[in-house]
Amino acid sequence: MTYDYIIIGAGMGGMAAGLELANNHKKVLILEKNSLPGGCVTTFKKGRFEFDLSLYDLYDYGSLDKKGDIRKLFSDYNIDIETELVPFNARVKDLSTGDDFRVKGNIDEFFVELEKLKSGSADSLKEFLRVIKEINEAVEALKKGHEDLSDYPKFLKYLDSTVIDALTDLKMPRETIYRLCFMWVYLGSPLDKLSFIDFAVFMYRLVFKKRAILKNKNIDMALKMINRYQDLGGKIYYHSKALEIADNGLSNKIVKTSDGKEYKCREVICNVSKRYAYTNLIKIEDKDVNRLENARTLAPNGVMVYLGLNKDCSSLGLKYYHYYQFQNLYSTAVIKNMANLYHGTIDAVVPNVVNEFASPKNTTILVLKTTYFDDALEKLRYDNHIDIKEKIANDLIEQFENTFNIDIKEFIEEIEVITPLNLANYTGTPNGSIMGYMRKSYDNAIHRLISYEDEKIDNIHFVGGSSIFGAGVHNAIYSGYFIASKILESEVNDGE
Amino acid sequence: MENSVEKVRNIRKDIIKDYSSKSLPKTNIDMMVNEVSEFRDVIVKEIYEEAPDVKSFVLVPNKNKGINELEPFKAGQYISIKLTINDIVTTRAYSLSSSPSEALKGYYRITIKRVQDGLVSNYMLDEVKVGDELRVSKPAGDFGYLKVRDEENVIGIAGGSGITPFISLAKAIEEGIEDCNLTVLYSVRTYDDIIFKREIEEFNKKSKRVKFVITLTREEKEGYLNGHLNKEMIEPYIKEFNTILMCGPKAVYKAMNEILLYFNIPRKCVHYENFFSDYKPNEVKTYKLRILTKGEAKVIECKSNETLLVSMENAGIKAPSLCRVGECGFCRSILIDGKIKMVGGVQPKALSENDYFHPCITYPESDIVLKLDI
Repeated sequence: MTYDYIIIGAGMGGMAAGLELANNHKKVLILEKNSLPGGCVTTFKKGRFEFDLSLYDLYDYGSLDKKGDIRKLFSDYNIDIETELVPFNARVKDLSTGDDFRVKGNIDEFFVELEKLKSGSADSLKEFLRVIKEINEAVEALKKGHEDLSDYPKFLKYLDSTVIDALTDLKMPRETIYRLCFMWVYLGSPLDKLSFIDFAVFMYRLVFKKRAILKNKNIDMALKMINRYQDLGGKIYYHSKALEIADNGLSNKIVKTSDGKEYKCREVICNVSKRYAYTNLIKIEDKDVNRLENARTLAPNGVMVYLGLNKDCSSLGLKYYHYYQFQNLYSTAVIKNMANLYHGTIDAVVPNVVNEFASPKNTTILVLKTTYFDDALEKLRYDNHIDIKEKIANDLIEQFENTFNIDIKEFIEEIEVITPLNLANYTGTPNGSIMGYMRKSYDNAIHRLISYEDEKIDNIHFVGGSSIFGAGVHNAIYSGYFIASKILESEVNDGE
Repeated sequence: MENSVEKVRNIRKDIIKDYSSKSLPKTNIDMMVNEVSEFRDVIVKEIYEEAPDVKSFVLVPNKNKGINELEPFKAGQYISIKLTINDIVTTRAYSLSSSPSEALKGYYRITIKRVQDGLVSNYMLDEVKVGDELRVSKPAGDFGYLKVRDEENVIGIAGGSGITPFISLAKAIEEGIEDCNLTVLYSVRTYDDIIFKREIEEFNKKSKRVKFVITLTREEKEGYLNGHLNKEMIEPYIKEFNTILMCGPKAVYKAMNEILLYFNIPRKCVHYENFFSDYKPNEVKTYKLRILTKGEAKVIECKSNETLLVSMENAGIKAPSLCRVGECGFCRSILIDGKIKMVGGVQPKALSENDYFHPCITYPESDIVLKLDI
């Protein structure tokens, strides 16, 4: 039999694409190499703790009356996940200047705080809100295929600007720019490389479509998605690692898997990055793809330390949902520093602060994340992996203890350290980065969107965090929906 | 010129076109992955008897099959051997009893005790010869000492063949790979059953950081404690802060729980290796097992006193497995219909709620339909 579509990988993008296609009565098969769906959105158990690998905040979810795209999609597909909207709740510390501020409540409160820290910020912040609204509208129009965006002058004005350039143009004080943008780590590139459009779209969602936390674990959401996909008639085979995508006649594809099986289809949707597909799966060299890949930079990768602590978070003194520690808030310098194994940037999460069910009573989960770039992990080998893992974990724990003056070590009941090597083994993601390609220069999400039709490849499509909209679970899910609907659209056009 | 979508698109195009059209470089992390199989080829270099019905096997990379080195491990980890015995493809997990430094030199050692009617242990002890080829998994498992988590005073509790990971840990401490003091209380039936007698004597003579205390449960002998582990045996080694590592049959853990309560050892300081525990149903019944695998269905028989994994293996089905104690998730299946009894194991709640289970520790209580893509 010939499937309409084969999807390689049951990650967020793959499942979302599968849902959209199955919902439109297509014959779809997902091939997944592991024994669970979800990819990086997964959960592992150690002792009495269940640790979520990657997803803590689901962006672009929104409230019932201000639904974000993800909430809309889940309700369209009839997927019911238990969520709770969370306000800002973070403490941010800059080690070089001693700058130490809290981000609590909604955006107004954050802006008041920013003005308090640096007077003269308020007007530029107000203008910033107006600008990001307009930019978001323009991007929505662009997604629908409209090219004439003259109704959105702010979009056109800043289309070719970095975050630093645009915010400076908005007369925002330097200090305020760095404080406002403290979440750039999440987007994975420094403010002088990050497109203002990408940043504006992200901030628009953060401000107007609230973030949600999952009340249940990551894997619960992944299972709900795959169950629904199967209810809609979609198929998934586990323990099926794709080894090759080959041509099967002029217009069909064939996917060969590690168990010696072959599956025929009309088109293939890869929930793996273009780089992975063209180095591992597609045996015919494509010079255009090579040029594109050589022009891009992989996003930073990282190490995550998962701690199960045997005390509740308030007695430990862990009051904030997020803690951010920076060597300094100046992102360009920070990212240079990330070429070293030990540097001062930590992004920490305490899920118990916003979710009492995150771990058993009187315990706390603390996740410490750090990011690496360039050559930091060049010396990582199998024979020093165990040692490097332990050293990094120890360094992160001690730094966190010192910076925030909180004792952690003596309460550690369980610990797990995940490195890019673990992630590369589990998902196959290039260099073990789960953030796909770095948003920089002309390879921000906005540029990929603008060039989507130009760079499209016949019968092979890409979804997930390494695809069009970049990293982040909401982007991965949305990419699956977006690409699937583009495919369905072109199917209708071809049919006419 | 004013910004436009077209202009930005063209800039991107221009930038990309000047880049090399050569294929893409792999990073060193990418080079380390790209392994299709979980299993590696090794050769049995040496076999020696440790005690009656206990043999150690020294394994080296099978260079003829392109394997030149062994993956490093942390003391306490296991490897799983994959074997085909009488057309049955099966696996068994064994803790490594060699030092982590020896893996870097190119060899692993595992130590296997004969289990009555045990398919694999009898095969390994009776059939396997020096020079034979075997397939083993990468080292896996979480059991062991972690400096950032654990106290400096480590008390090991070993029952029977549960001694193996502690020999590895003792060596790692002696060689400075791990940094703690270790006292192992080793409970074994008789003097003859003691595994690693010579190595244990060496440690007790020479080591400042490692000590083994042996208790014989079914024999009295001078120089050895007698009877099951109890408070009095452990008391001399308890300090203000302790970490307890346990490896052995469930009965040992049960007995220890009470003892640890007595010494007020907090839960966070106690870690144990999952050990396979036997389960005996009230009566042995035979059921039908239907396996849905990638769009095909196979029907075999299963028995209420046999795990579903064993039933599948016995029927010639190549079901994936590794740890066989419900931990690694390799054999993970979905229950479509029927009633099962899962004994032990760990998995997130959402998986249990969605009928996921581990056939390696699961017994049927009715006819079963399961989905397992092989």
